[in-house]
Amino acid sequence: MGEFRLEPGRVSLRSAGPITFGPAGILFMADNAAATVFAVDVADPGPAGGAEPFDLEDVDARVGSFLGCGPGDITIKDMAVHPLSHNVYLSVQRGHGDAAQPVLMRISVADGAIDDVPLDEVPFAAVAIGDAPGEDDERLDTTLPLGDEGEEMQFGTLKIRLLRQPIRTATVTDMAYAGGALLIAGLSNEEFSSKLRRIPFPFSAGIVGSSLEIFHVSHGKWETAAPIRAFVPYDGGASVLASYTCTPVVHFRLADLTDGAKAVGRTVAELGPVNQPLDMVSFVQDGEEYLLVANSAHGLVKIACRDIDSQSPLTEPQQPVGVPRETKDLQGIRRLANLGGSYVLALQSDDAGRHHLRSLKTASL
Amino acid sequence: MTEAIWSRGGGGDCIRLTGLPAGADVRVFPGTAVPTVSLPPMAGRLERDGADLCFVPRFAFLDGMSYTVTVEGTSAAVLVRPRPERPATTEVTGIRPTAGEVPVNLLRFYVWFSAPMSEGYAAGQVRLARDDGSIIAGTLLPTEHELWDGSRRRLTVLLDPARIKRGLPSHQEAGYPLRSGKPFRLVVGEGFRDAQGLPLRHSAERRYEVGDEERRHVDPVSWELAVPPAGTCEPLQVIFGRPLDHGLLARCLHVRGPGGELVDGTARIGPGEQSWQLVPSRAWASTVHQLVVEPVLEDLAGNSVSRVFDRDLTRSEDQSRPARPVTIAFHPG
Repeated sequence: MGEFRLEPGRVSLRSAGPITFGPAGILFMADNAAATVFAVDVADPGPAGGAEPFDLEDVDARVGSFLGCGPGDITIKDMAVHPLSHNVYLSVQRGHGDAAQPVLMRISVADGAIDDVPLDEVPFAAVAIGDAPGEDDERLDTTLPLGDEGEEMQFGTLKIRLLRQPIRTATVTDMAYAGGALLIAGLSNEEFSSKLRRIPFPFSAGIVGSSLEIFHVSHGKWETAAPIRAFVPYDGGASVLASYTCTPVVHFRLADLTDGAKAVGRTVAELGPVNQPLDMVSFVQDGEEYLLVANSAHGLVKIACRDIDSQSPLTEPQQPVGVPRETKDLQGIRRLANLGGSYVLALQSDDAGRHHLRSLKTASL
Repeated sequence: MTEAIWSRGGGGDCIRLTGLPAGADVRVFPGTAVPTVSLPPMAGRLERDGADLCFVPRFAFLDGMSYTVTVEGTSAAVLVRPRPERPATTEVTGIRPTAGEVPVNLLRFYVWFSAPMSEGYAAGQVRLARDDGSIIAGTLLPTEHELWDGSRRRLTVLLDPARIKRGLPSHQEAGYPLRSGKPFRLVVGEGFRDAQGLPLRHSAERRYEVGDEERRHVDPVSWELAVPPAGTCEPLQVIFGRPLDHGLLARCLHVRGPGGELVDGTARIGPGEQSWQLVPSRAWASTVHQLVVEPVLEDLAGNSVSRVFDRDLTRSEDQSRPARPVTIAFHPG
């Protein structure tokens, strides 16, 4: 892993967040509490995956049982599928509050066996992310830690341990690897903006990448910026389709994003009111590339990439708006990942709040 | 006869098992019974300690959780992990904005707590309510990603931007989350858990009147400055003319001296986030100073110095302004 500048050591995760695979089976893991993204060689043990589907009922109960807790103590933050073995990786938070513990889980597609991925001694690299507080913001919130975090301060004869943490934070909502760089979308806990961060990989010391603000236009009349909730590169990484917290779906070409320049994406669709985009994936069907969007309020939305490329910017406020799309009657899907070329793996929650892994055949989508 | 008790061993808490035959198949499952469906056992290892066996978990036992021990596939014991009894001590220490009236296109609240909090409760415990107590549904942004500061004491709560942005179906169909002239309350329920898993001492709320929409840039040039006399440590007072965002105010205003150096002092945000003052740590020099305003500073509706929240492309006054700091010169007299 020398070519990716990974060094062996302990990945000290403070929180579980979005994950995505990059080159050579390297897993990118966002740690929002530490304002860091780790690139980890997970040394996947599996043989090359086949073209079979993989389904697993009650994945949260199974992970919870392995971790010694109930499904209510398990929060699946994200899901990724290893590009070669097709083993499933889950970014999991176990427990809540001070007892919360981030765990990386691996599920074997060969037999459904569940295991955690130890991060004590693995090849890894790390980079600080987003609008992490820094040069222009010295505000820190000071609390008394329970453990040995923070620094010991002397007040007269009294020694007190204080933990000082930033007030301004950036929360990674989605990540993808494209064109030799890690793309990171995030939400600030203060300003309302649309920042996409592009960090070249392998990470280099002192290079934190560029921050790109992307505006989009609705109906040819309103130009807005909003945090990107989910996005997916397509067309070999040349284009990106992004969906926003306020539901427009916006296309932009990566080559058009230059540092410091104002970029305006093209709104190609809207996903409807009282709805949140949750995840996106691209897949190929009959030689054509399509995008699949998971939503909080609707079923899966399928969009043909050729329709995006031929779509002129939205000009009419009437519904339906945007590119032709199909809505699949698959409810409760929260995460999507490619499972080889024949299937898309979905993390689905049912009415009882239980979570299951379902394989969706790309030929039938 | 197998006996199982909580104990210490293997470098941490463990379940100590006595009276086991050699080579017994021991498994531990969370819950009060052997699972009826096939679930993996709790990860851990068995260590021999004299005549006993200790189950040392890879992930610590959780307070209040029950654990079932099976030997050769049959339930041998159920142990309950004790939960320390502690009184609730955490409370809400502030809800921002503190302005009595907010614009109908209000974007954001901040809720401050007295201690670090647990994630996962914001969607269920923070809500908007009418004066009669009824909940105003569909107003806050439903997000999987709660927006906390580094110590999990300040929560940022966004109103659904899809209902605030003009032209989007959500806004066209459902309108603003708030209604001009209709007061409302932001309510934080006592079921919000702190980092220890305890509820709040009591719920908290703040009531607001709702005014008209605010669509203008934040315009520092229009601010009123009360310039202090030179040679004193009296405050520089800045009055905005409308409430601004509390979180951003705390980092977007600075004063620089004639050489560009930062003027050190104590900054304070005024009542209702309508003003700001800086008390210098050294007396003002009789020379030109600059109030520096960062372009990301927003008002309560998400309009910033450099851009309005959603720009009407047909209105020239909505045009974006340079994303660089605005400086306002003043001369302590």
